[in-house]
Amino acid sequence: MKIRIVVFLLFLNSIYSNTQAQKSNEISVSFYPLFKNSVIDFNQPAFYQIGINDSIQFDLLRFYISGIQLLNDGKVMWEEQKSFHLIDANENLLSILIQPPLNISYTEIKFNLGIDSITNVSGAMGGDLDPTKGMYWTWQNGYINFKLEGKCSLCMTRNNEFQFHIGGYQFPFSSIQTINLLAEPQKNIYVDIDLRKLIELNDLVNENNIVAPSKEAVLFSNQIASVFSNRKK
Amino acid sequence: MKKSLLLLIGICFTISGFTILKEKLFYVPKDWPKPEYDFSKNPLTHDKVELGRALFYDPVLSKDNTISCNSCHSQFTAFAHVDHALSHGINNLIGNRNAPALMNLAWQKSFMWDGAINHLDMQPLAPIANEKEMASNIDSVVKKLQRTKLYPTLFLKAFGDSIITGEHTLKAISQFMLTLISSNSKYDSVMRKKATFTEQEKNGYTLFKLTCSGCHQEPLFTNQQFENNGLTIDATLNDIGRMKITLDPNDSLNFKVPSLRNIEFSYPYMHDGRFKKLTDVLNHYISGIQKSKTLSKKLEVPILLSSNEKVDIIAFLLTLTDRSFLFNTDFSYPKELLLKTN
Ligand code: HEC
Ligand code: HEC
Repeated sequence: MKIRIVVFLLFLNSIYSNTQAQKSNEISVSFYPLFKNSVIDFNQPAFYQIGINDSIQFDLLRFYISGIQLLNDGKVMWEEQKSFHLIDANENLLSILIQPPLNISYTEIKFNLGIDSITNVSGAMGGDLDPTKGMYWTWQNGYINFKLEGKCSLCMTRNNEFQFHIGGYQFPFSSIQTINLLAEPQKNIYVDIDLRKLIELNDLVNENNIVAPSKEAVLFSNQIASVFSNRKK
Repeated sequence: MKKSLLLLIGICFTISGFTILKEKLFYVPKDWPKPEYDFSKNPLTHDKVELGRALFYDPVLSKDNTISCNSCHSQFTAFAHVDHALSHGINNLIGNRNAPALMNLAWQKSFMWDGAINHLDMQPLAPIANEKEMASNIDSVVKKLQRTKLYPTLFLKAFGDSIITGEHTLKAISQFMLTLISSNSKYDSVMRKKATFTEQEKNGYTLFKLTCSGCHQEPLFTNQQFENNGLTIDATLNDIGRMKITLDPNDSLNFKVPSLRNIEFSYPYMHDGRFKKLTDVLNHYISGIQKSKTLSKKLEVPILLSSNEKVDIIAFLLTLTDRSFLFNTDFSYPKELLLKTN
């Protein structure tokens, strides 16, 4: 008899918690790669002027966002499970949906730019982490956290190309970065990525090809993180 | 009551049936350490292993359908590259390193001579993409497999999904490689007290324990570390080994200590295949050690061996040959699958 009651209560409880979970709302987190306040269209690459006589064109932007959390006063209110998202400007995958519960308050969103070290050594994975996504190194293991490619007249390379494949999870070349931005309950989140600033922080004449974990990659990953910001109103 | 008893018996049978099946695919030999591979993320099944075996032997993985994993890793050389110092791949391009034997990979912590690969699942990405090896990429491989007659069915059987993904492809190849256990050499029988060494082998074993097992540690015959064993650098290759990965000068010229199981068949030897015979290897340790900043401490004291002792060590090394591994038909070309459709 008693057991039946317990089972019944468990049943009720499961219905209750299910409806609770359904009460979450969808919030989008959207990324805007910018050059001088205009959004870059990666499907129709244009040349932008830099300096006096030079120009730059962006051909590819792809990066991982992982470990999304919502915080209130530094306290974690919610964190996404299995939180790995590939952002791909060329495929117009610039926006992701998160589903936090309705009843929490928060002031901040926090996420990683890149893939954590445990995931990096855990073997083959699917979904956005599938190696067919082209964000995994082959000759040496590890995810590429961030890819930016294009052409710039400052680069004395073949076709003036530059190539940044930033990754690395092992000490001392870990290049995963954490980004904290402001957020408000039930409001979509808009994130600017100021690529002009990123380019200005760098010396494209001498540093235009980073394709392996290194000191330079770590520095570059710091700079990338610094150009993520809340959309200016 | 009777019913539940029957049910219980039924359950017992299925469980024991499963364990028998599992033992056939993978087992930990007596007194061996725990495997490094996390089987919970990729539990072995018969269908997945068979799929992996087909992929391992199928040149479909290379750009022009000429090269399979087996081209460089053939069973009768313990899955090393027979007779080639530097492995050669597509269009006969010569690679930079000697293909190592593939066995007991479930126990291995890292892969490649410099440890560039951190997980067995990810290993195939390297040869598939290497311009001098298979010159393709996992994305095109997956699309190509999807277009074949054979593979969507095999993936459906193995993973319950005929849509092929990179994850499933890599996991299947791992499954096959994980079954490549070599633990039935004469040495193993002696350790299990089922055979005895000859006087010569016994003496060789004693010498081996004194001079070699600091790095080539039993039972896997590797301590899984990266060491500099005093090879002179080959100026045409300039291979700095582990330092390529860590960028740390202390790792310069350090290479992964390879297992010595089946060493009789996995010639030529060393990362660049510079030695053809075991005598050459022994001569290196006795008189060829190149002193350098990163030379392993274990080799700072010269190894002194008479020519008889040298022969004894080699006699011992030959007891590491495991014929049941080299000729195990479970590991060989899957005729039933590949000949039928291709
Ligand atoms: C063209 C020759 C070639 C082909 C084809 C090839 N390999 Fe290899 N393999 C090598 C070489 C050479 C190495 C060592 C490379 C190094 O250390 O840098 C190696 C290393 C390995 C290792 C690491 C072994 C260890 O002990 O560290 C594994 C596992 C492996 N290969 C599996 C495969 C699989 C699976 C395939 C097919 C998808 C494959 N190989 C195709 C040449 C080849
Ligand atoms: C300091 C550690 C160390 C000691 C001691 C040592 N080795 Fe090695 N051994 C290595 C390393 C590292 C390699 C691979 C080096 C390379 O290819 O650059 C190797 C390679 C070999 C190979 C070639 C394996 C292959 O698959 O190519 C043989 C055979 C070998 N050792 C036998 C011996 C014998 C016999 C002794 C004792 C006389 C011995 N080693 C002592 C570290 C050691």
